Amino acid sequence: MDGTVIAIWVLRLLFLAGLYAFLWAVVRVLLRDLRAAAREPGAELGRLVVVASPSGEPAVGAGFSLDAVTTLGRDVNATILLDDEFVSGLHAALTYRGRTWYVEDLGSTNGTFVNGSPVEEIALVAFGDELQLGNVRLRLERARR
Amino acid sequence: MTPAPPGRRPGIGIALGRVAVALTVAFGALAAGAGYWQVIRSGELSSAPDDAAVIAAGRHVVRGEITDRDGQRLAWSLLDANGEPYRKYLSSSLSGVLGYASRAFGSAGLERAYDAQLTGVTSADPVQDLVKKFRADPSDPQAIQTTLVAQLQEAAVRALGADRGAVVMLDPRTGEVLVLASTPVFDASAVANPDTAMRTFESLQGDLAKPLLPRATQGRYVPGSVFKIVTAIAALGSGAVSADTTFAEQPSAEKDGLLVSGYRVRDGHHPATGSKALDFVGATEVSCNIWYALAGLETGGDALVEWSGKLGFGEPIPFDLRTAVSQVTGGGGSFGGGFKDAVELANAAYGQAETVVTPLQMALVTSTVANDGVLMRPHLVQALTGQAGTRTVDPEVWRRVLPPEIAREIALAMRQAVGGRLGRQFTTGAQVKGLTVAGKSGTAELGGTGEPNSWFIGFAPAEDPEIVIAVVVEQGGRGAERAAPIGGDLLAAWKAWAGR
Amino acid sequence: MSLALAGMPHLRLRPRLRRRELGLLVIVALALPLGSASLAATRALGAGTNQPAGGLLLADGVALAWYLGGLFVAHLVLVLSGRRTDQVLLPTVGLLGGISLLLMERLPQGLAGGLGLGRTQLVWLLVSIGLIAVIGALVRSDAWLRLYKYSWAAFGVGLLLVTFAFGHDVNGQRLTLSVGPVTGQPSELLKVILVVFLAGYLSENRPLLIDESTRLGPLRLPPLPYLAPMIAMWALALSIVVVQRDLGAALLFFVVFLLLLYVVTARVSFVVLGLVALLAGGALLYELVPHVRVRVDIWLDPFATASGSGYQVVQALHAFARGGILGTGLGAGLPTIGGAPPIPALHTDFPFAALGEELGLVGIMGILGLYLVVIERGLRIAASAVDDFRAILAAGLSLVIGVQAFIIAAGNLKLIPLTGITLPFISYGGSSLLTNGLVVGLLIALSDRGVEVPRAPSEPHGFGRLRDRGAA
Repeated sequence: MDGTVIAIWVLRLLFLAGLYAFLWAVVRVLLRDLRAAAREPGAELGRLVVVASPSGEPAVGAGFSLDAVTTLGRDVNATILLDDEFVSGLHAALTYRGRTWYVEDLGSTNGTFVNGSPVEEIALVAFGDELQLGNVRLRLERARR
Repeated sequence: MTPAPPGRRPGIGIALGRVAVALTVAFGALAAGAGYWQVIRSGELSSAPDDAAVIAAGRHVVRGEITDRDGQRLAWSLLDANGEPYRKYLSSSLSGVLGYASRAFGSAGLERAYDAQLTGVTSADPVQDLVKKFRADPSDPQAIQTTLVAQLQEAAVRALGADRGAVVMLDPRTGEVLVLASTPVFDASAVANPDTAMRTFESLQGDLAKPLLPRATQGRYVPGSVFKIVTAIAALGSGAVSADTTFAEQPSAEKDGLLVSGYRVRDGHHPATGSKALDFVGATEVSCNIWYALAGLETGGDALVEWSGKLGFGEPIPFDLRTAVSQVTGGGGSFGGGFKDAVELANAAYGQAETVVTPLQMALVTSTVANDGVLMRPHLVQALTGQAGTRTVDPEVWRRVLPPEIAREIALAMRQAVGGRLGRQFTTGAQVKGLTVAGKSGTAELGGTGEPNSWFIGFAPAEDPEIVIAVVVEQGGRGAERAAPIGGDLLAAWKAWAGR
Repeated sequence: MSLALAGMPHLRLRPRLRRRELGLLVIVALALPLGSASLAATRALGAGTNQPAGGLLLADGVALAWYLGGLFVAHLVLVLSGRRTDQVLLPTVGLLGGISLLLMERLPQGLAGGLGLGRTQLVWLLVSIGLIAVIGALVRSDAWLRLYKYSWAAFGVGLLLVTFAFGHDVNGQRLTLSVGPVTGQPSELLKVILVVFLAGYLSENRPLLIDESTRLGPLRLPPLPYLAPMIAMWALALSIVVVQRDLGAALLFFVVFLLLLYVVTARVSFVVLGLVALLAGGALLYELVPHVRVRVDIWLDPFATASGSGYQVVQALHAFARGGILGTGLGAGLPTIGGAPPIPALHTDFPFAALGEELGLVGIMGILGLYLVVIERGLRIAASAVDDFRAILAAGLSLVIGVQAFIIAAGNLKLIPLTGITLPFISYGGSSLLTNGLVVGLLIALSDRGVEVPRAPSEPHGFGRLRDRGAA
């Protein structure tokens, strides 16, 4: 048997092995993601109910489901759109971590308030607390389950 | 515009999941499809003569030699001025079976059928194929030893002379083909030689006698009386008729013709046997159309087609070369077996109507009778020799058609047809000194004003058959005119070659 | 997504490590040179029956080095963008492109003009990878897609009509449009525009599509006002087949449309209806349009016309057969007939068959696996998208790649009639690579998972300054 021929065979098989090594690595990543997604069943974590909204958008009494991360603002890309002239493009973010809710001000012009107190960067919020962004007031409530 | 709230989108997640599953299944089907072509059909396609690798190999590789069963070289390769190989053949008598292999015009015949082996693209066995991949030069051209006998092939072509026709000679015990001759022949060496290829091929294609048609395997002819052996096999095999069966109406029908559904089957080209009702042997000896027509009607269309199917009718024959399909009827009728009506069945029973056969098919019919009812698979190749050694092809039983007793009854009748006092008038020339020959002649009317096809089928020695022959001469006249004498001559030649 | 474009106050350079992507790219960087080495060794041995003119050991290595460099630069760009985006797509697509590069390097370079097959493909691959990186890093808003769906549709139809009228025929298909020195295939771009339009249209009308429906006996049809655009879609597909003779694009459009309709409504009956319409339309075309009839006849029995119209497909099947399980090895298969590869249009329509011959069943299944990975990632991005529009957009984009790959692979394998569409990232062709790069770039941009969940505060009232700001 010719040495070069064997060398070529080895290289060919290694190349194919490399292709499958890549697929294997990817499958591991995919499985990890799947497991992570299964752990967050997408159940409702909380709700935000509109208490006051002078512009009418969103309507008073409207309820929004909250995920782990929710942004509020006037920008069309915000998760919850608040059409109020005193609300910034991306005004604040509500996040849920370690069974606790936090609100973070994203550098808004007019500031974010929890129960009347201004939020410096980030603040804890509990169920029943009221958030104020511009002229819009929202209340954090438990999940409807 | 308010984007929909997150998290509460009934169904999209689930629907996406289902789409993902559907696509995975679809890609699985792709993998299965790939597996089909790359594993299951892989061997067949990659060794086909029109595969690009086989064609490419044919250009560069020195093809393996082809020899006859005694080791005589039939086809070999020479190198031209550029050092590129081209083919040379022993004799043009082999053109009908070996075909040719040329650079410009591809290949035909046995050269084509075994292209992959001769150019070394495929090895003799799968293990070798695998091992071959690890060698620097993976090509393994194999030499082929055929079952042919060069001198007998030559004799057959000479015997046919200027007529168009075919001769098949095979060994009924093994299925080995010793002669597969077609005339007119052509000079395969001239086609393979690059200097003369273009000219020769053009003239061959324009030749109205169609020398490129391998008549022995693909010529389809009206059989005439030789088909009666098929009818005998069906009638006796199915039990519809026995060797003692006589038909009361047969003697009178000799004169006035047999009335079948308003059509008269006429006989009369056999010597008057008076008012004697013939039995099977008698009817075969004098080739009595009436008896056979009645026997055919008795057997029925379904049984006739069924039994002929066992002999190889209705499908291509498993052979090294491509074969045309022989038929008992054109089909499409509703009278059982595909016949239109009783008249067609009656005519088919003695080999007219829409029956067409190839010479190879008739040789197989004869072989069945000669080999006690066991039909061996015909083959041309005996052994393939490559780098790994020689692989031999063993004889193989193809069909068990008849029980030996019935086969022997038919053999006896065929013995009478050549050796009997009345019989020899139909088979003049088929007799050979020192050899008991059994057989049947045929005179196949073609309608119109032309001469009929002249047929002869036979085997020898009758007691313990070793050789079968089938001869057809296109428009050669009566069976005894051309085909039977050719048969006799070739059987004598065989006797000399075999040292009997 | 936050507002994009330079100069905006929120744009901050905040690099984020992408370890998984890097790891996968390393595997790619190890595997591809092995392929290149086996190709070079095969050429050195002279066992290859198809030696491209001027293909040298060193030249192959240089091309691959450029390509890998491009991939790592793209990786770097995505790292610098700091976005939490998908890390599997770039390496997967990179591996596919690398396989394509190896294939184009080993084919006769004369199949394409200009720089030659391999070099041209390298250039387009680098441009495509660059596009992925740029879009994946910089596109942060989907407003430009979401708000102007009817404009996009009009643009698409206009592009199609211009190609109908002014395009020139190549191989009997009117696909190519030349504007000055630039030649391209607008139908490639059209499929992206179609997906954008459908995403907007279907997401907007989703409630109506789900809740209302027209009953036709036991069948439920989409509500009548919305049935009209759908029938328009069907008619559009048929017209593409008839005028452009592009069966592949028509089939792709229609199938993607049906699948997206299903995703949005979850009604199987709509899909069944669509398939029936497809088959009916197909049967109609078979009767009326000769080139459709030819294609279908070839599909049913290519061996019958093996030296005529069925030649291409028969040669492709022979190529698969010669490959077997492990293939013949890069550079060792594809025996030439008169100096040309045995399959016509090998580099555009039949790279799948070529890879089948040289990499074998093992290689083919690996490549199919790579496409499945792209589809899976794309659909996952769709499933975790923030709203309907992005979900449908992501789904549509992944389907455009996945279904297209399926159609051409199935055509190569005689599972469905052959169509002239390209195998994404593997077929030769700038238009195809650019468009698919655009698609993957958009998928990566859409996969942005936004702000990281903040770390829990160490004390009840003192909150550490959060490191993560901005985009959500």
